[in-house]
Amino acid sequence: MVEFDLVAPRSADEAFAALRAAAPDGAAVLAGGTDLLPDVDEGRQRPRVVVSLRHLPWRTLDWAGPSLTIGSTLPLRALEQDPDLVRRFPGLAEAIRDVGSVALRHRATLGGNVVRAAPTSDLVPVLLALDAEVEIVGPRGTRRLPVDRFVRASRRVDLGPEELVRAVWFPEARPSAYRWQRVRPANDISQVAVAAACSPADRRWRIAVGGVAPRPVRIPSAAEALGAGAPTAAAVARAARAAADAVAFPTDRRASADYRRHLVATLVERVVDAVVRAEGFPR
Amino acid sequence: MTPASETAGRPDARAKLHGAVRYGTDLESPGMLWGALVPAPRPSGAVRRLDLSAARALPGVVAIGPDDLDRLLPPAYRSAERPLFAAASIDYGFQPIAAVAAPTRAAARAAAEAVRATVDPAPVVADVESIFPDWPGPEAVGSPHVAAHVHAVRGDVDAAFRDADRVVRETYRTASVHQVALEPHACLARVDGDRWTVRTSTQSPFGTREDLATMLGLPESAIEVAGTWVGGGFGGKGAPLLEPYALLLARASGRPVRLALDYAEEFRLGRTTLPAVVRMETAVRDGTISGRRVRLLLDVGAALPGRDFATGYSIGFLLGPYRTPTFEVEGFGVRTHKPPFGPHRAPFAPQCAFVVESHLDHVAREVGLDPEAFRAAHLWREGEATPLGQPVGPFGLAAAFERARATARAWRAAAPPGHGVGVAGGFWSTGTGAGGELRLRLAPSEVVLEVGEREIGSGSVVAGLRAVAVRVLGLPADRIRVESLGTAEAPFDSGVFGSRTVAVLGRAIEAAAAELRSILAARLGAGGPVEFGIDGERIHVRADPAGGRIDRPLADLLTPDERGEGGVVVVGKHYGRGGTIDESLVRAGTFYGYTDFTGAAHVAEVAVDRATGAVRVVRYTAFQDVGTLVDPPAARAQVEGGIAMGLGTALTEEAIWSDDGRLLNPGLLDYRIPTFGEVPPIEVEFLEGFPGAGPFGAKGLGEPPIIPVPAAIALAVREACGAHATELPVTAERTARALKLL
Repeated sequence: MVEFDLVAPRSADEAFAALRAAAPDGAAVLAGGTDLLPDVDEGRQRPRVVVSLRHLPWRTLDWAGPSLTIGSTLPLRALEQDPDLVRRFPGLAEAIRDVGSVALRHRATLGGNVVRAAPTSDLVPVLLALDAEVEIVGPRGTRRLPVDRFVRASRRVDLGPEELVRAVWFPEARPSAYRWQRVRPANDISQVAVAAACSPADRRWRIAVGGVAPRPVRIPSAAEALGAGAPTAAAVARAARAAADAVAFPTDRRASADYRRHLVATLVERVVDAVVRAEGFPR
Repeated sequence: MTPASETAGRPDARAKLHGAVRYGTDLESPGMLWGALVPAPRPSGAVRRLDLSAARALPGVVAIGPDDLDRLLPPAYRSAERPLFAAASIDYGFQPIAAVAAPTRAAARAAAEAVRATVDPAPVVADVESIFPDWPGPEAVGSPHVAAHVHAVRGDVDAAFRDADRVVRETYRTASVHQVALEPHACLARVDGDRWTVRTSTQSPFGTREDLATMLGLPESAIEVAGTWVGGGFGGKGAPLLEPYALLLARASGRPVRLALDYAEEFRLGRTTLPAVVRMETAVRDGTISGRRVRLLLDVGAALPGRDFATGYSIGFLLGPYRTPTFEVEGFGVRTHKPPFGPHRAPFAPQCAFVVESHLDHVAREVGLDPEAFRAAHLWREGEATPLGQPVGPFGLAAAFERARATARAWRAAAPPGHGVGVAGGFWSTGTGAGGELRLRLAPSEVVLEVGEREIGSGSVVAGLRAVAVRVLGLPADRIRVESLGTAEAPFDSGVFGSRTVAVLGRAIEAAAAELRSILAARLGAGGPVEFGIDGERIHVRADPAGGRIDRPLADLLTPDERGEGGVVVVGKHYGRGGTIDESLVRAGTFYGYTDFTGAAHVAEVAVDRATGAVRVVRYTAFQDVGTLVDPPAARAQVEGGIAMGLGTALTEEAIWSDDGRLLNPGLLDYRIPTFGEVPPIEVEFLEGFPGAGPFGAKGLGEPPIIPVPAAIALAVREACGAHATELPVTAERTARALKLL
């Protein structure tokens, strides 16, 4: 059995204190634990102290006009069952439903997924397409950072040792979609995934690709190729090519680089088609 | 009389659903130590120096290596074929070089990590094609890489190919698949004086005892192997794996020692089906197969030379259940630095069926014939001889194949664009001829069937044997109980493998019941047939001789000795035989006959995404030749489980080794068995009337249902999108390549 001290603070200040007390070794932070605990069990991570966020009042979903703030410890299962979220953020809902299994999503959280920053995350691509930002709290106050800057590399994020992600903020509801390819549809890691969204405000597209090293990335050239609003078939084909050309795809035990490149082009076409058909698409 | 429904049901279901069953991984004992194996750091080379001192310096740790064996074991252990610990030669990655035990699991892991080994590396043989890039020639026969060579020829094959209208040549490749039993290997050992006892999750307690005796140099009488509830076997738990190390650690420490694999170790150390390359050549004349050449390179891992069963057994399945007047088959079991080849549900037969069905389907297309009609026309019929000269017994495959074709026609008529339907056959045989015994105890109010095996999950032991006894004795199921005993008390049996349990031990029940009836007929003075019945709680013995009906409680018929033993005890035995082949066809190695002929034909409908190659299985129907149905719900469960498991072999399961012999996906994330989301609705139809080797003509059903699955899927994919699969698994990427999308 692996042993560690489990601390479950009742307030953010208590949490900061617990994190400070764990210095210099540092503590592991536990939200749903679906990524952390297998690492601990299999010895990839050996924390002496684990700080659980379970008692913090962060399981929230707050709408403010077009924007949405999702508390970092709200289980994914609650998000995918929220009818407003499913309607107004269809791509986010699709991506959430494709994470692991139902049992896993009862525990897994959006905050945990972003902070753990797995290169194969199914959620980071759609967060990039939605221009999401993380709200970071720490002993020296609160700051906000776009996900694109927060996630720096595989398993690396811009977060101080005493900081925590309190929420993920979405500036506006957007017609959006998420498509992936896996060896096995359920409980697997995507070989390639593509998220797309089109802003009702400026009618501009965002395209992001996952399953690539070292982390999911936005593909501005693909988004630009689509122009504003509904794209022509030729524009979609250009965007698909741009996405395939923009990324250096890896070859590994899950797929070859050639196959990933082929998949990206196909998935871009499909994801754009889904966004155009989504409710509220700006024509 | 006994309602048929009473034969159904699983006496172990409630305990399993409530978590009350103790599996091998639940074994614990007061004062026990936790064991851990120290793996070889490389898949090949020699251990130059092994330093156990740091491990031994840890509190409560016992560490043993090759130098300790002389003090722990009698000298006879040295004659075992394979050393217990790799030393001068490492045969495969993660082969044990030492073992440790400690008071906790974490301490055992830490102790294993504290062992220092210096290894002189040697080149790694990672795969068969790297050894024989141009296929093995005659010189390969004596090669140290070759563990087995089998070769058989019938007729003038060269003439058949010379005179053919058309010759079709193809190469197929199949992947390594793991059993993925939910419960990893686990055991608990203790040594008290001269008694070496191990409780273990095994499919074969007696086979394990025999192997342990050889490995440890002990007499069998010194060893007791007791089973546990087995959390899935699928062939992977038929031979000792952890038991010798647990026993050695128990001997060295004087404490009970528990040894269990974690799942990564299970993938690295488990004995399972390894990759193969098959070359198929078929000559066709006047629309009929006139000759075939079949050549197999089977990776047998670190198998010992001369101890490779797989190559000779598999090659018969590569000829398929198809008439072929002339042929040449040659197979090489090739050694690599992988763990030794081990059985995986119908070892290598699903792969063979994939190759044979896909190839003959392709041959028919090449010569412009209907692929299913072509295969159907060549199927063996009862009374004909197999290519190796064994007469074919009652065989339901042709009938099953016709039923499958009719289903396929209906599905095709309704299939939307992008869908395809595949039909594939396969065959198997009940057991391998290995025999067994069972003790039947007829007590005043119950029947106990005492056996040496434990239930491995299929229900064949706890429910299948009971169902046979219900039918043979005419007593209700709730009066019949199966009791599993250890090797010290149980009658001998070979084990739960080869689809043999109900067939072989069922025949033993028939034999025991016949003896019981004759004993009791004499005591009744009936001189005629004896029946059993229930009156209240008591078992009655009845007969209807000419002089009038006799009906006595069993209790009244027992001798004083039997009252002491709790009933009339008889031992039933069944030692069947494998079939015989025409040995004059054999030029090298061993080929095997079949105890009976079990057929299955399956139909699959798939949808293929033409842009990505992704396959979704839409629906599936199996037609299974079962001889006689013994336990219908259990039979259906076996077929559904076999199909679900076969879908993994067909589409996603593949152990991937690197060029330097490392397993790249030792875990359930990247070794993908199907989830329920991938298993389609399954229909099962049983064909009775083609009797087999078991009681009432029943045939084994543990393995046959998995055999046609990869072939049926691959052929459905071909029909859906035109991609002809020549490699397992049929992944989306391989299909995309076949469609020239990349």
